[in-house]
Amino acid sequence: MVYYVFTLVFFLFDYFILAMGLNIQYGEAGILNFAYIGFVAIGAYFTGVFALPSSTGTGQHYILGLGLPFPINLLLGGLAAMCFAFIVALITLRRLRTDYLAIVLISLSLVLYDFCNNFVSLFNGADGLFNVPEPFAKSLHLSTNSFIPFFACVAGVISLLLWFVMSRVMRAPIGRTFRAIRDDEVAAAALGKDVFRMQLKSMLIGSFYAGIGGGLLIQFGGSFNPTAWLPGETFVVFAVLIVGGVGNNIGAFVGALLVETLLIHLPAFLPEIPGHPGLIEYFDNGVVGVVLMLMLWFRPQGIVPARLRRTASFGVGERRHSAPAVAETSVPAA
Amino acid sequence: MTGAGVLDSVTPTQRQPVLRCEGITKAFQGVHAVNGASFDVPEGRITALIGPNGAGKTTAVNILSGAMRCDSGRELIGDTDVTNWPSHRIARLGLMRTFQLSRELGGLTVLENLLAAPAQQAGESLVNVFFRPDLVKRQERAHAERALEVLERYGLYELRDNAASDLSGGQKKLLEIARAVMASPRILLLDEPMAGVNPALIERIGSYILDLKAGGVTVLMVEHNLNVVEQICDYVIVLAEGRTLATGRLSELRENAEVVKAYLGEVIDAGSAR
Repeated sequence: MVYYVFTLVFFLFDYFILAMGLNIQYGEAGILNFAYIGFVAIGAYFTGVFALPSSTGTGQHYILGLGLPFPINLLLGGLAAMCFAFIVALITLRRLRTDYLAIVLISLSLVLYDFCNNFVSLFNGADGLFNVPEPFAKSLHLSTNSFIPFFACVAGVISLLLWFVMSRVMRAPIGRTFRAIRDDEVAAAALGKDVFRMQLKSMLIGSFYAGIGGGLLIQFGGSFNPTAWLPGETFVVFAVLIVGGVGNNIGAFVGALLVETLLIHLPAFLPEIPGHPGLIEYFDNGVVGVVLMLMLWFRPQGIVPARLRRTASFGVGERRHSAPAVAETSVPAA
Repeated sequence: MTGAGVLDSVTPTQRQPVLRCEGITKAFQGVHAVNGASFDVPEGRITALIGPNGAGKTTAVNILSGAMRCDSGRELIGDTDVTNWPSHRIARLGLMRTFQLSRELGGLTVLENLLAAPAQQAGESLVNVFFRPDLVKRQERAHAERALEVLERYGLYELRDNAASDLSGGQKKLLEIARAVMASPRILLLDEPMAGVNPALIERIGSYILDLKAGGVTVLMVEHNLNVVEQICDYVIVLAEGRTLATGRLSELRENAEVVKAYLGEVIDAGSAR
């Protein structure tokens, strides 16, 4: 029971991180990143190969194998996703916008998936990485059962840290500039905003979060393979964000709780229906789809809508309550 | 009476052109929207850009502001050749613009629309946000003070915390000008600032533009309302079929047969046809 609960808690925190990363790209800067899960995978794989020992004699094929300790490997995994995002952004963001960008990115997600699935010597192909050392398990003498609650807490601490960082970014002028670009690229450019550069920044921040979220996944389960990041998984993160509330980190948390934890992972613990193996899982995906559609139809702003006016809260606006209102028809002397 | 040199010969007080375009062309799939337009915009004056519909006025503004690339020709701001520079680089030289159809930042508040305006803010760098928060805060506070002053001047103060998307058409027009002003422009391109605006507001916007001129801002405005042009504009550039047909004062241009035929005449025709 403890195992189940903490597994759910872990996924709650992990998808909270993933949703925050997608939010800075999609919710704030308006980048329709349909390859998001690809960046999660890059983070997971690199976190894995940074932690795993050299591949000789392990029965797996992978690059690097540096045997680095946690959380250094996790951090590097996040940076790897960021580097990948940098290359992708250089190629795609300069020329493409909106739907066209989305089409290219979903294609990228498919190509990346096929590439990793078939190119065995990179990340062990379809078998994926396994036996990734559990962080602190040896030094803290954790059993498999006590590792799960422990690591769920680690994920919780990391997600809180990342939440603090993200809130600060979104409240800062940089967040406002992201939203300006999201609302109208042409107008933002006319105000001197370098749209490409700003979108690149948002892409990099979001991909770092994706990489960290992916890195935590592989550290939690000890393994990661292509079935975990089918291109469609991107839309689970979108569902988390849209149900919770685009543009709001609390919304990302609520979405992670409702969609990822309650709708996707909780039913996995239900007993199988006799004679219909896997039925619950399939049914589950349908439920997520229906919930997403209902939300878009009836409450597109999400359960926790984005707040208006998040910047300039230095009390300057409030000091002037007594200032005389300018009459609508007053005409200053020409 | 064509070409860029005309302006200098007809202007009593010669002014340095702060914005100059030479032989700009732009074709859309064979249609020449701008076809060799050349004109100077004198510093510290209000210049109107008039011409019949389809004369290439908005295309010219788009090219001048960097929103569009031209096929040939040159654009100069002061002595800097800015031909086909991207919008944000032109904006950073102090050339701001508004749009024919308001482009407010709808998801931001009115106040945030203004706060977003100054280019290259310290708080747009992550390093500053996390390691120099005092600098960011100081700059943000200064911007907020100024933004509220601008909002007060433009009669938008009470609406400062409303979403910009909730404003009325006229308020959006005001917001666009206020936003451009917030960015402390040297040159301001206004694309039909009076379009779809009631007479009282037209007068108000006109007085704001005159205030800007008094503050040393160079204004180039696309305008169809000749009364407005007569009242507030110092010079007029007439575009027709993508070319500069004439430049000068409106009173002089009224005497110009070509201009009357191309523009004024057409307006009269359209008026009498109704």
